Amino acid sequence: MKLKVLVLFVCSIIAIIVSLLIVKANVFQAITTIFTGSLGDARKLSGTIKEMTPLLILGSAVYLALKAGLFNIGAEGQYTIGACFASLAMIAIGGPVGIIVGCVVGVVCGALWALPAGLIKAYRNGHEVITTIMLNAIAWNLTKALVSGPFKGKDQPASSTSVMPATSQLTPLFKIGELEIPQSFVVGLACVLVLAYWLKKTIAGYELKATGANATAAKFAGVKTKQVTIKAMLMSGGLSGLAGALQVAQFEHRFYDGFSTGYGFDALGVALLSSSNPYYLIISSFFFGVLNKGGTALAILGIDKGITTVILAAVILMFAAIRYSKKEVTNG
Amino acid sequence: MSFAVSMQQISKRYGTVQALDNVTFEVEAGTIHALVGENGAGKTTLMKALYGAMIPDSGTTSLNGNPIKFQNSADAINQGIGMVSQHYGIIGELTNFENLVLGSEGAAVLNKSTMSERADRLASSMGFEFNWNTESSTLSPAGGQKLEILKLLWRKSRIMILDEPTAMLSPQDADALYDSLKQLASNGATIIVVTHRITEVFEHCKRVTVLRGGVKVADHEVTNVTPSQLAEEIVGGEVIQRPKPVSLAKNSVRLSIENLSVKGEKGDSAVKHVGLQVKTGQLVGIAGVDGNGQRELFHALIGVAKPTSGMFSFDGNQWDTETSQTRILEGLRVIPEDRHEEGIIEEWSLFENSALGLQRLPAFSNLSKSTREEAPVMAEMFGTKHGGLDNEIGSLSGGNQQRFVAGRALRINPQMILAFQPARGLDLNSTTKVYQEIRRACNDGACAIVVSFDLDELLDFCDRIVVMCHGELSEPRPEEARDRAAIGKLMVGAG
Repeated sequence: MKLKVLVLFVCSIIAIIVSLLIVKANVFQAITTIFTGSLGDARKLSGTIKEMTPLLILGSAVYLALKAGLFNIGAEGQYTIGACFASLAMIAIGGPVGIIVGCVVGVVCGALWALPAGLIKAYRNGHEVITTIMLNAIAWNLTKALVSGPFKGKDQPASSTSVMPATSQLTPLFKIGELEIPQSFVVGLACVLVLAYWLKKTIAGYELKATGANATAAKFAGVKTKQVTIKAMLMSGGLSGLAGALQVAQFEHRFYDGFSTGYGFDALGVALLSSSNPYYLIISSFFFGVLNKGGTALAILGIDKGITTVILAAVILMFAAIRYSKKEVTNG
Repeated sequence: MSFAVSMQQISKRYGTVQALDNVTFEVEAGTIHALVGENGAGKTTLMKALYGAMIPDSGTTSLNGNPIKFQNSADAINQGIGMVSQHYGIIGELTNFENLVLGSEGAAVLNKSTMSERADRLASSMGFEFNWNTESSTLSPAGGQKLEILKLLWRKSRIMILDEPTAMLSPQDADALYDSLKQLASNGATIIVVTHRITEVFEHCKRVTVLRGGVKVADHEVTNVTPSQLAEEIVGGEVIQRPKPVSLAKNSVRLSIENLSVKGEKGDSAVKHVGLQVKTGQLVGIAGVDGNGQRELFHALIGVAKPTSGMFSFDGNQWDTETSQTRILEGLRVIPEDRHEEGIIEEWSLFENSALGLQRLPAFSNLSKSTREEAPVMAEMFGTKHGGLDNEIGSLSGGNQQRFVAGRALRINPQMILAFQPARGLDLNSTTKVYQEIRRACNDGACAIVVSFDLDELLDFCDRIVVMCHGELSEPRPEEARDRAAIGKLMVGAG
């Protein structure tokens, strides 16, 4: 296992260097720019934490589904739907109550958006990858239509809801100079910890993992695997919706067309990289946060931010190749 | 004396395991020679060496006095060696004729008339009858075995290796098979039978070679050795006696099955109107040839298949409408047929696997504490060899996985035990121990149903034997309850 980690580390570095060479960047300069741009000072570090926050929650969502043997590509759509409807509730109700109701709305809407995929998987064996991709497309277009029409704020020129009253906005938990720790970041960390405990210690978590690892054996062990599948999709969708709601409350303060910048997809990478240990979600979402934030600084060097996506993809591919390498079959 | 097969000082090492250690194996021409030993003793490896499927590290082989060196199986086939493996190489979608000639067509275009003439001649010389144009999927296990033998004759094999040829056959079919083999031997063919059934050795073979742990431990004329002596040589020590099963069954019925029908994988009715009552303390064995509905019956009792008609109840509680979970809570314990798919999660540790199927029992309410406590006990029960309970269970040998799965099924309050081929992959003494433990649970008030394709095993341990054939359950008449021949007839539907 340790060897694997080492191999992964070395390969990642090679991937990063090669990617940068391909775009004819000065490798050393580019890497230092990514790091100074993301961790260089308190303000930049705050930006990295901001990038990391939705990834923590969405990563937990995707990780949970993965443990049940489901690849929830729909986190993006569930996040978008959750954010859209949560923002309405927060604007309409206002104040701390608005935030709480908004989060509940986000969870419920995210879960409902994942439900069809769970039902189709459980009862018709339709692949969740296909169904969630389709649900993503519906989510984008539906929310786009809603904020262009019925949900559009009167004072807004573009497709957007109105801005939430200041009382509905989450303030940073604390602020030291320019370093800000958002409240939703703490919620994200809590999600990871609770998820880790739930999977390790509870019988429901045990049955979910059994279903993901070997559904037939789980069935023989008396696990209601169909219900587990549906429950896993609901929980995963609910968490994604929560991420959307908190993103509105903490950072965006409104919902608009093009709200998500692809956090739901980054979360797939976050979850895959954390592999068999949920605590690694914290490390991998930090890694993604650094690249997301540091990537913007690359523009100064004339390198497109997209290169960070290439780097991430290369790392994930390499990781998958190492982590999921087929065990040699020994025969006695 | 000239030997048809003479293998001298064959050694083969796989990684750290010495699979064969200086094994010398000699077979007289025109005889049936038995090769016996436990799982992992090296029988299959030795036969692979003879068949050219494996090249030994050292040692020499000669056929009829001529030294030979095979690079692959094709070389061996050209020298007249043929092998029938335990899982037949017959493709169900092809016709019997196509299967017969497969790989040995002799020309790019099949000349069907001359070829089928030869096929008929071969079949009639053995007293077999085949409809050449029907699909092989319709063959019975015995028919498949016959076709395999014809395939060897088609390839002009003079030395035939048969790996556990009777594993899937009823006693009558097994006897018929040996009659055919004797006929072949009397015509000069040399036949090597790999088997674990000691009775077959004494009834049908001339010589027997015993392997244990990759070493040849004995080589006898069958007439110079007794069954118990041979069993001790196989085990390498004392053989646990198998006293005649005594039933302590009470009159109260625990499991009651009425008119149960279940559909099979292909939508056919695999279990047809089965009725069975199992009493407190009873160990019922279901005899039968593989694929006669035993699997589907078990799946319905466990709750992973839905019956199409009928009902069953345990202690008066209707079970067929209940979830598997409820049945487990009321005492259902399973040693499943396919332990890889149904019994374990390979990439999990033994600790994690110890709760599988028991996770909702009160004994496992504190999951991590209970698995820490129970896993060592379950492993200890039948002496599972493992490199640490933290290791993936997939890293264990099949036999050790089976020991662990059996230990898990019998550890916590078993009331209704369902065991499908519980001895699969186990050595003689472990088999006895598993059955003894099932018996002990029955004596404490549980009841059990065991499916096995080995009638002798069931006769050794069960106090009641029923037979499944074509999805129907039948029971021998009381005076024939332990009669091998009578049960064998029922197994092929000729009762």
